Order: sequence, then C-alpha cells, then structure tokens
Amino acid sequence: MSTTGLADEVGTNLAGLESVWDSSIWDSSMRDSYAFYRSQARPEVALAAALVESAVALQDLGRRAPEPPRLLLGDLCLARASRLLAETGDTRLQVAFAVAVERVAAEAAGGPAARALRELLVAAISEHR
Amino acid sequence: MTSARRLDVTTSRATEFVDVTTRLQDAISAAGLREGRLHLQSLHTTLGLTINENEPLLLGDLQATLERVAPGAEVYEHDNLLRRMDVEPDEPRNGHAHCRHLLLQPACTLLVEAGRLVLGRWQSVFVVELDGPRERQLALQMDGEFVATETAGARDRSDRELVELELARQLLVDPEQVRGPMRRLVEAGGKRLRPLLAMLTSRLGSQDDPLRAAALAAAIELLHDASLVHDDYLDQAAIRRGRPTVASTEGPARAVAVGDYYFAKATRMIAQLGNPDVSCTIAHAVETICLAQMDDVRSRGMYPGDHAMYVRVVRGKTAALFAAACKAGAQLGAAPAGVVERLHQFGDLLGIAFQMADDLLDYSVSSGKPLGQDIRQRTVSLPLIYATEDARHGSRVRELLAGPLEDDDVEEVQELVQASGALERVGNEARGLVAAALRELEELSLDGVGSQLTDLAQSTVDRVR
Repeated sequence: MSTTGLADEVGTNLAGLESVWDSSIWDSSMRDSYAFYRSQARPEVALAAALVESAVALQDLGRRAPEPPRLLLGDLCLARASRLLAETGDTRLQVAFAVAVERVAAEAAGGPAARALRELLVAAISEHR
Repeated sequence: MTSARRLDVTTSRATEFVDVTTRLQDAISAAGLREGRLHLQSLHTTLGLTINENEPLLLGDLQATLERVAPGAEVYEHDNLLRRMDVEPDEPRNGHAHCRHLLLQPACTLLVEAGRLVLGRWQSVFVVELDGPRERQLALQMDGEFVATETAGARDRSDRELVELELARQLLVDPEQVRGPMRRLVEAGGKRLRPLLAMLTSRLGSQDDPLRAAALAAAIELLHDASLVHDDYLDQAAIRRGRPTVASTEGPARAVAVGDYYFAKATRMIAQLGNPDVSCTIAHAVETICLAQMDDVRSRGMYPGDHAMYVRVVRGKTAALFAAACKAGAQLGAAPAGVVERLHQFGDLLGIAFQMADDLLDYSVSSGKPLGQDIRQRTVSLPLIYATEDARHGSRVRELLAGPLEDDDVEEVQELVQASGALERVGNEARGLVAAALRELEELSLDGVGSQLTDLAQSTVDRVR
C-alpha cells in the first residue's frame, strides 16, 4: 500500500494525535509499523498495534524517563489503541494486547525478561485472527 | 454491639509517620458505627500511635525529636545480642526504636459521632514506624450504636471489603518490581469513590453480581492509581496520600513503567469481564483523560485561565472517570439505557464538584495535602481563577502568578485568595453541582442504593467543611 493510502486509511483515527502524525515518529517508525501489521490484521487492529509500539518508543520504556510531552503522548497512544480494540468488541484480542504491554512494562520496571513487543503483538494478532 | 478487625500497614522507611485517618474513617463507615468509640492498638513494640498535625515540616521536626531522644548511633544494651537469651537469627538491632516508643502510645481510643471520627481541625491519626520498613498490623475494635444491620447496610460493607480484597488479590500476582510501588500507593488509602460508585450502580440492573462488580471496581481504582503515578512524575510531586510518590522512591523511569503496567492490567481486567459496552465506556474515558491532560498542559500558557477552560479540563481529567465508573457499573449490571445515561450525567457533575472541593484543600492545613501545592505547580484551580476576577485583589494575584512564585509569594497568593471570597464561591458552586447531580437521580428507581449514592455524593464536598 502507498504512503498516501496508508495515511488516508488511518487519518480519521489519529485525531488528537497530530503531534505523532506530524512528527518523525509517523514519518518513520509508526508508518512502517502500521504497514507491517496491516499485512496481517484489519486496519483498526493494525493501527492499535502501531500505536502501542509508538507509545513504548515515545516513553523510552525500560531506558530512561521521557520528557513530559512524550509521556503524555505515549499515554494517549496507549489509550487510543485500547479504545480501538474495545470498539472491535473482541475481548480476547484486548486481553492479548494488554498482556503484551504488561510484559514489556514489567520488564522495563526491572521484572522478568519479556519477548520483543512486536513478537508479542504478532502472536496476539495471529492467535485471535 | 462491637465490631473487630485488623488494619494492615506497609511502611517504606526506617522511621515514618503514616496518616491512617482516612482508613480509620473508612473502617468506621464500613462497620456502620454511628455513635461510639474506635479502639486502636498497635501489635508491635516498635510501632506507635500518635495524634498530631499532618504538616510535612512538622513531621520532620517530630522525627528529629525522636532521633535526639534516642539516637540511632547510640549504644543500647538491647542490641548486645551476645548477652540476650532466645535471640532470633534475624534479630534486628533496634534498641533506639524501643526507646523512642516511650514517647508514643501503643493504643488509643477515638470518639465517633454521627458516623464520623471526632477530630479537631488540625488532628490526624498517625501510625509511627520506628524500625521499618516492615509489614505491620493494628487491631481495631469498635463499640457503640451501629446502623441497623439491614441487608443494604451489610451489602455496603461487603462491597467495600470486596473492592479491597480484589485489589489485594490482583496485586498479589504481579511481579514485585511493579507490585511493590503500586501496593504502597493502594494501601496508603484514598477514598475509593470511583470504585464504590461502580459497585453501587452495578446493583441497578437485572444482572447484579458483586464479584464481577468488584473486578470492575478494582480495575477502575488501578486505572486511577496508574494515572496518579504518571501525574506525580509530570508534576514532580514528592508526596501522595501522605507518602513519597512512586517517582520519588523508585525513580521516574520505573514510575512510567509501573503506570503503563497497571494501565494495561486494568484494561485486561475489564476486557475479561466480557462486556463490550463496559470496555468501550472505560476506554473512551481513559482516552478523554489523556486528551484533557494534554489540554491542561497547553492551557498552562494561559494560566490561571477562566471558568470555561477550567470546566473543560476538569471534565476530562477528573469527571470522565467518575462518569465512566457510574455508567460502566450500570452497564455491567444490565441497567436500562435511560438509567445508564442518567448515571453518566450524575458522575460527570459529581466529578467536577469533587475537583472543586479538592482545589479547596490547597488552602486547608488539615487536609494532609501540602499547602499551596497547586499554586506552586501552577495547576489549573478554580479558587485562583475567581481570585483573579476579584475587583479588589485580582490585579495583585495576577501580578504574583506571573512571577517566579517564591515561598512568600505563595503565602501572599493564599491570603489574597481567602480575602477575595473565592473559597466560599467555589464551595457553593461545588455544593450546587452535587445538588444538580442528585437531581439526575430523582426520577430513577434506585432499588435501595439511592441513599448510598446520596451519601457518597455529599461526601465529595463535606470533606472541606
């Protein structure tokens, strides 16, 4: 799918996330991330996965404390992903995504090692397709 | 009639003053004691009790006094383990802590009138850790006149206990690195208004199920607490619920991870209820909170702002979760659509009133909240907005707020806010909103939870009287 096509597809779901949309996050990692998940999931699920990846990147989870705007934007990305998943009505998918974030966050806090976030999200999507 | 229970307290420092006033009041409310006495007894020889003022600098003075009376570096016979009999392998060297205990009480009795602890304006009840950090326990006994043990009363008590049990159960299974900080925050108290609203409203439909409601209620509390963990990092706050914040004890990077973990966990708990409407309600509320947080940060350029901006921010940051708790509870219980929507309105108005009352605590020494914190942090606050509108003091308040805000400036702003009548104005507005919230319920058949919802609503503004 072309860059414009991807942007059109997700544009309406990114209102309020203009900072992400306009920033290098979208230009690079988030767009690639969305394209990656879009090949295996419907648009809202792919966007939710891309938003979760963006949140973790924005918040530098497991590395250092983010600047306040990045924390807020990361929180909003997680919340938006959660809402998109809730609107699918697929509770098992919501649970699988939440477990992925729990594992990554627990590891970032010094807890047990987790698999890479993308690996966890891909597993969540494929198990509940 | 008597009632007995235990109160668990987790301390996090060697010497620590833990304010348990709110938790004692909750225990009284849960037991239904109306007129009588609460007896409180420490079950440890290095854990004392005292009643004093919750003012952070004073607590530092009290700690310094304990240190002067029995210095930690002094030699104590009790610590000479070679001369003692029956010494445990892990026996601590804590002679100083036992000696300091002489200045405190091992037990105390507090009077209860009209269901409330009888305490003076400046009085708070403290558990004083002398040899922490440790897991501690207090014995509570209550005697006197209790509210008649009708079904509703018993159900209220069991609802509160169910929420606490569910919170404890959920925290039990988490990795220690995230559980520890969150457990300290959860156990530090909090009013649990949002979870209790969910519990009450879940009774209003055909599928009243206390265990499922407790799962929802605990998830809502964890969401709220997760947002507090992130807020405290953003605001660089040192104290929350009378204790050091997660960011200040664990460092900001871990605080961010702890917040994210419990956001995800709460989302999972809600999804596991298997009710898509409930999931959507909470998810929309969380997103609204995040958008309002960003709105709040952007609005600080227009600080202190105006009434419309205040309501917009507060409706998102605070009221959204109150409204969602009421709505999601009703949805979980399968209440009729009309009831669900009225409860959403009720929660929205109540949440705004709650925040207004919370703003007033910034001017109340007995609140436990550091005085002038909102002024120092330039938090959007209605008393400040009204003070800037005052014909006599407004220009000076605006002038001070535009400056760097040293301690003297903060004190002057506080005095000007009080002199402007802004506090009375905000108090009246908050009470008006509670009345409006209660009017939303007037035409509903509330199946025995009407009085509890009314009490809960009134309690949001009563705390600043």
